[in-house]
Amino acid sequence: MSSSSSMMMMMAAGGGGGGRGGGGGGGGRSWPSTTSVSASGKRIQKEMAELSMDPPPDCSAGPKGDNLYHWVATLFGPPGTPYEGGIFFLDITFPSDYPFKPPKVVFKTRIYHCNVDSAGNVSLDILKDGWSPALTISKVLVALRSIFTNPDAYKPLVQGIGHLYLADRSKHDELAAEWTLRFAR
Amino acid sequence: MISDSIANASIAMASSNPKDFGKKKRANRSAKLKQCKLDARREQWLSQVKSNGGCKEEVHGGGMTHGLPAGPENGRRIPIEKLELKPRVEGIYGEMHQYSDSESSPSNSPTSHSSSELGSNDSGANFTASSRSSSSSGRSSSSSSNGCFSGGISDEDEGGVGDDGCLDDWEAMADALAATEDKQQEHIPNSGLDSPPSEKHGGSTKYGSQLSVKDRPFSGDDISNAKQESGGTAIQKSLIHSQAWRPDDAFRPQSLPNMSKQHSFQLDSERHFGQGGSVWGCKNVGPVPKSCPICYEDLDCTDSSFLPCLCGFRLCLFCHKRILEEDGRCPGCRKQYDCDPVEGEATLDGGSLIFRLARSCHMTTTS
Repeated sequence: MSSSSSMMMMMAAGGGGGGRGGGGGGGGRSWPSTTSVSASGKRIQKEMAELSMDPPPDCSAGPKGDNLYHWVATLFGPPGTPYEGGIFFLDITFPSDYPFKPPKVVFKTRIYHCNVDSAGNVSLDILKDGWSPALTISKVLVALRSIFTNPDAYKPLVQGIGHLYLADRSKHDELAAEWTLRFAR
Repeated sequence: MISDSIANASIAMASSNPKDFGKKKRANRSAKLKQCKLDARREQWLSQVKSNGGCKEEVHGGGMTHGLPAGPENGRRIPIEKLELKPRVEGIYGEMHQYSDSESSPSNSPTSHSSSELGSNDSGANFTASSRSSSSSGRSSSSSSNGCFSGGISDEDEGGVGDDGCLDDWEAMADALAATEDKQQEHIPNSGLDSPPSEKHGGSTKYGSQLSVKDRPFSGDDISNAKQESGGTAIQKSLIHSQAWRPDDAFRPQSLPNMSKQHSFQLDSERHFGQGGSVWGCKNVGPVPKSCPICYEDLDCTDSSFLPCLCGFRLCLFCHKRILEEDGRCPGCRKQYDCDPVEGEATLDGGSLIFRLARSCHMTTTS
């Protein structure tokens, strides 16, 4: 501790000169780029490495092309749900200020789900207000997977599906399984 | 001669802008300065012993008698002085140690950091305990931490004065003198330069009595008073006061540089001190991660001592600032930041006290 405080003093004496060299260097970068060395780029690369080392079950994700900020993810419908057997593709777009702002997740595969609208937008708390910079894509994938098993029908994005889920669960599951068969195989 | 050297020293001190000098250079300078001062003192002491004038002897009665090797009084006082002196020495070493630490290892692994923290805590504890072992441990720790740096300073120490105990006496004497002389200088700006000692002595008592009337409501620990009484306890008291000038002390010599900027900063560092200290008390704080969980940059020592939220979530200062600019919630617990990183500070009065002492001691020795 004392070393840190002495360093603080040195910095004060030196008119705050120095600071940290490369620290959040390219934070002000406005466009995503493949060879970015900005804070978000480094973070995304780390996440990619971690994801390949230790992927969550039934998920995969990675950059779509050579753009680090544009990923595609696949989710397998968990067994025991009407989505079983389906393969759902998602687009993940990282903002340039990524860890501070949530990634945008869009279902590319059509799905009958009360939290996913027809355009593929997902209403998930942690992708909006509940986002924390400490969250990672791997945690987002786990959360997405959990809404397959537990749709949040009380805060639905598609009202009809939510109502049906609450009112007639078997009918809902039947429709969902049918959509999975139609679109997700 | 005395006042001359002191004036030089204080001027050099005042003009020495920490920004301009490297730490190593600075250490060498202070060591050289100390050496110079010691030489001056010794010469003067010898000349006084030779001439043995009653008046002259009384001039430095307060300080000088402490340095004399013989006498029953001195035997009684010297250990106390050492006890007072040691922490001061250690303060320097501690600080050097910190500098060298922060300089030599930019990566700053959390372990080395915490060790230095422990070291500083130790020195605080040793302040109240005694004495010789503490300084030696401080010395050894500094030498182990950075070879070239501490090597330079300790060589100078051991090379200049062979006996360690002798050095201590000289140093104690020099400091006591510096305190009295500085006070005299404060009131007689230029008269001390070439005036014979007898004159100075007259001046000092006169001004001393004036002082005790006008400046000091509580003149019990006044140096001039102590000199007139020449009571042992009073002198010791004044010695204690001469060591750490409080910024608001009426007796603070004006030749001391104004550290207001650093003082305000000190509060800041105190804050960090407190937060770091809370690590030891807090249960829910895990080990310090090597890199920021947000941006994956390596945490430097400032970052790793930075604990902005009670939930124990650590992150680098850059990310913290960024988050404060936006929604200001802790990534770990999603609570608003600002609420109270303060709680850590309250527990650490002891820590900040130690730190402050170390700094002011450092100042007095260099001047």
